[in-house]
Amino acid sequence: MAPTTCFNCKEARAVIIRPKNRHKLCRACFIEVFETEVHETITGTNLFFPGERIAIGASGGKDSTVLAAVLKTLNERYNYGLDLCLLSIDEGIRGYRDDSLETVKRNAKQYDMPLTIVGYGELYGWTMDQVVEQIGKKGKLHILWRALDRGAARLDIQHVVTGHNADDVAETVMMNLLRGDLPRLSRGTSIVTASGGSDIKRSKPLKYAYEKEIVLYAHHRQLDYFTTECIYSPRHSAAVPIRPSSILDIVKSGEDMAALVPRDTSQDGKSCKTTAAAEEENTGSCGSQNGRTSGGEMAAMEKQLTENETAEAHETEIQLPRKGAKNTKNTVKSSKAVKSQTLGHCERCGYISSQRVCKACTLLEGLNRNRPKTAIEVGMEDEEGSSTLMRQMERTQLTNS
Amino acid sequence: MPAKELSRPCMDCKEAETVFTVRKRQLCSDCYKHFIAFKVHRRMEIYRPGKTQEVRPKILLPLSLGVSSSVLLSMVEAQIQHQLAKPYGKVFFDLHVLVIDPSSINPSNASIDDNYKVLLETFQSPAYTRLSIHDIFDYVPDMKEIIHEYAGSQFADDSSLSNEDRLSAFRASISTATSAADLDYVLLTRLVAAVAQKHGCKSVFWGDSDSRLAARALAGVSKGRGASMTWQVSDGMSPWGVRFEFPLRDLYKTELLQYASVCPELSDIVIPDAPLSDNVLTKNLSIDELMIRYVQNQGAKYPGIMSNVARTANKLESSCIEGGASCALCGGPRGNVKGNTGVTATTQSGDSEGSQFCYGCMRSRPDLKC
Repeated sequence: MAPTTCFNCKEARAVIIRPKNRHKLCRACFIEVFETEVHETITGTNLFFPGERIAIGASGGKDSTVLAAVLKTLNERYNYGLDLCLLSIDEGIRGYRDDSLETVKRNAKQYDMPLTIVGYGELYGWTMDQVVEQIGKKGKLHILWRALDRGAARLDIQHVVTGHNADDVAETVMMNLLRGDLPRLSRGTSIVTASGGSDIKRSKPLKYAYEKEIVLYAHHRQLDYFTTECIYSPRHSAAVPIRPSSILDIVKSGEDMAALVPRDTSQDGKSCKTTAAAEEENTGSCGSQNGRTSGGEMAAMEKQLTENETAEAHETEIQLPRKGAKNTKNTVKSSKAVKSQTLGHCERCGYISSQRVCKACTLLEGLNRNRPKTAIEVGMEDEEGSSTLMRQMERTQLTNS
Repeated sequence: MPAKELSRPCMDCKEAETVFTVRKRQLCSDCYKHFIAFKVHRRMEIYRPGKTQEVRPKILLPLSLGVSSSVLLSMVEAQIQHQLAKPYGKVFFDLHVLVIDPSSINPSNASIDDNYKVLLETFQSPAYTRLSIHDIFDYVPDMKEIIHEYAGSQFADDSSLSNEDRLSAFRASISTATSAADLDYVLLTRLVAAVAQKHGCKSVFWGDSDSRLAARALAGVSKGRGASMTWQVSDGMSPWGVRFEFPLRDLYKTELLQYASVCPELSDIVIPDAPLSDNVLTKNLSIDELMIRYVQNQGAKYPGIMSNVARTANKLESSCIEGGASCALCGGPRGNVKGNTGVTATTQSGDSEGSQFCYGCMRSRPDLKC
């Protein structure tokens, strides 16, 4: 049988099938189509303004590597006039983060972008390994997100882009449907989320890109990315697709449903948009921050959901503050009215939180309580320093508003 | 005389042995029926006639002769009989039962002739209509053109065929299990809505249990039909001017099965569900079947989470949809839901632009092999 020719140019040999519409494309056309779609997403949502400084949350994994590569290409091709840099968080996971950071460093050279690495140890006095040793695998993302924000704040950058793809958004939609959390569902699907605590905007330009296409893009452009799974974030990868387009279908449903969420929940848009932090905390994995190996297709949905569910079950069980558990009960009881979340700032660090003290601070407090005195001293200095910074920022914010 | 000694007395009447434990209550079969039926009867209160009401509304109850819809019929009918028995009791509504022949949807389904006969004898007060799925061409006159337009070049429509053959040719042209199940549900809904319109019914009472609604919500979302949830899962106005209601939304499938087991009159009416076999290739399942299995398996472990799903979907507001263009086939909103502008998944897919069909229907088209 003769090789299939490309759907677009009708000349070259097709090498990939797009999960979205089953078009068979050649290498060049696929790369072009992929980039054009990201470009359309960016221009259609007015994501950036000329001269804006953007920090790319880079983990060395495929999503962030592709994001960096695409943004660099598009920035040059369409003259966005963006000032791009890479921002990496070093959680201090031995054997995983060390290697992936090497990839980020190589990427920084390849793309000629400045790179900043912020360490957990430096921010909190705790590395991920130590955290996990102490309390298990909960709450890790609360801290990661704040670290990204703090890193950006340190660089004086107002906009962080992350490599969240369509699969991640779809996962958020399904999971929040299971959790019964409509406000979060509507937040999770929007492309831009501004975080009130630090005034830093977060966006996901790859929101409509299938994870599979990201892998293909990385492969065909021979990008240098890190492929070991985050050891704290297991994912199912093997899957038989029932309907390959369903990832985008879920995203579509999520967007539609977000528009149908009763007004009083999505209330004064502000508090809604400000909770960027919350939405990521619940992805149940390190999101796209890690390098997942093969493009896990949607059809493992059943498995994936089970996984989400177990993660969720664990969450309520192990959560440190009892408040979390109480909340769940309340939502179940008041089933009629959609519970609205009021957002304030954490008393300790000033980061947005729906509780008096934010999750990350509670987590840290729990950690520090159990730590030998000598270690605290070293750790606390850093923590003090950064929280003073946050307090100052909060104050300036208050005076501004 | 001392009361009869009972080892485990019913918590409510204290006069009979416990038969079932439902939501931590140990009840005898009569109290169980009362407890379960109350959840449905409570939902009927909105039809309690006011002083100004002149005409008694009509309600359409589509009956598949499965457990859930049969139980619903028996509960609603019991309430009507109770109202009739009262000296000045007012009947809330008139019931019209619609039976769509399951064998016309899937030829492997057994004939329902015997069950239908028993049904007519058992519940005598409602009016009955029995139809086949291809009667949709009579009830929805545009359906021929819509299907012709929808199926595209891949499907050669032959107008000389009978309605029955024409519809089965169309359904045979759909390649994947997911699309087939999706379109069957769309056609069924259209037919039920059209019958309700024709008989001047105010509402349709669907016999979907909580478990089924959860599965439908998850499957609908996976198929890009999130915006249709406002009437496919929540109680609300459908695009055809008839309210869709799901009175069994508080009840799990297992509870309905238990209820049916203590209703001897239902035993000859209900066609039991074929048990789900474990030895199926996931690849050959439709998303709908997959979700039913998922809800059944997980619902056994975490019933609360599954009821979350249906309850969450019930909170969506349909008012936002009104006024927009709707899909010729399924009636769902076309293009972007009001409030979503700019780049969305709709514009990213590209193929539904300028079409008279919605995103979800475009996904199930016969020429699309995904």
